[in-house]
Amino acid sequence: MKIIKFQTIVSTNLLAKKLARKGARPWTVVISEEQSSGYGRKKSSWFSPRGGLYFSVILPKIEIRTLQALTMISAFVLAKVLKDNFSLEPFIKLPNDIFLRDKKVAGILIENVIGNEIKASVVGIGLNTNIDSFPSALNNKATSLKIEMGREVDNLEILEETIKEFKRQLKSGSP
Amino acid sequence: MKVKINFGNKFYRVEIIKLSEDLVRVRVENNEFFFKKNEIGEITRVEPPTEKNFSWGRGGYLNVSGKKEIKSLIAGNISSVEVKKGDLLKPGQKVATLIAMKMENEIIAEVSGEIAEVKIKEGQFVNTGDILIILK
Repeated sequence: MKIIKFQTIVSTNLLAKKLARKGARPWTVVISEEQSSGYGRKKSSWFSPRGGLYFSVILPKIEIRTLQALTMISAFVLAKVLKDNFSLEPFIKLPNDIFLRDKKVAGILIENVIGNEIKASVVGIGLNTNIDSFPSALNNKATSLKIEMGREVDNLEILEETIKEFKRQLKSGSP
Repeated sequence: MKVKINFGNKFYRVEIIKLSEDLVRVRVENNEFFFKKNEIGEITRVEPPTEKNFSWGRGGYLNVSGKKEIKSLIAGNISSVEVKKGDLLKPGQKVATLIAMKMENEIIAEVSGEIAEVKIKEGQFVNTGDILIILK
């Protein structure tokens, strides 16, 4: 696993896709302390201040039938990491959001690069970890691990656990 | 692979040949049948490819008139089209974004050439195998 770290970046998914198009190795991870234009599905913006965990991982080439399950696998992986490591009770709102006590704590965006075959799949994850507060527009809709648990968490440890779980699920989950 | 099948007290010679990654030819006596895998891995029968419309190598398909095409590998909604008629395409260049299975999919060219026709527009639904772009 190769981790490319940034202090700030426009979007981890944008760079990961670019690297994937150029043939970057599977399990290459792009992580940034903040994103200036983090985005989700339909180009909605993702609030990405310092403190949160923002990363994109390039997955190995997968078959189309596995691709269909990838949104669910990704949400399951992240929810499992939160449950196993912090004894939280995450709720998966399909296709790609994770809630804690009715407030969004994480979003997942999957982008594929397709030519004559599936060239690469990039899974981008935005997880509100050590964020103290949200702007008023998000205040009632979003939460963070710090707000829920009253303590800081180790972002890199969560990243590693997530990648480990992805490897486990994709290995056992592919037909 | 060649086999003989006994069916209704008659023997049939059957030959199965893999023509490409997802195309198989089955010859029963003198009749040929072609089968292809669709996007969810199901085997479906397809029309026989002719010498003209079948490209053996990578890099797009050749249609009957000898033009190169970019086809959609999956079904979904086109959310953006990044190229226009007359553009010179390079391999790896993004041509469109397609939303499918709640994911965003960048369709890239694997061939080079000048675009003769863009067959898609924003908001359009495309099926697996639909032609997106025709090159000269």
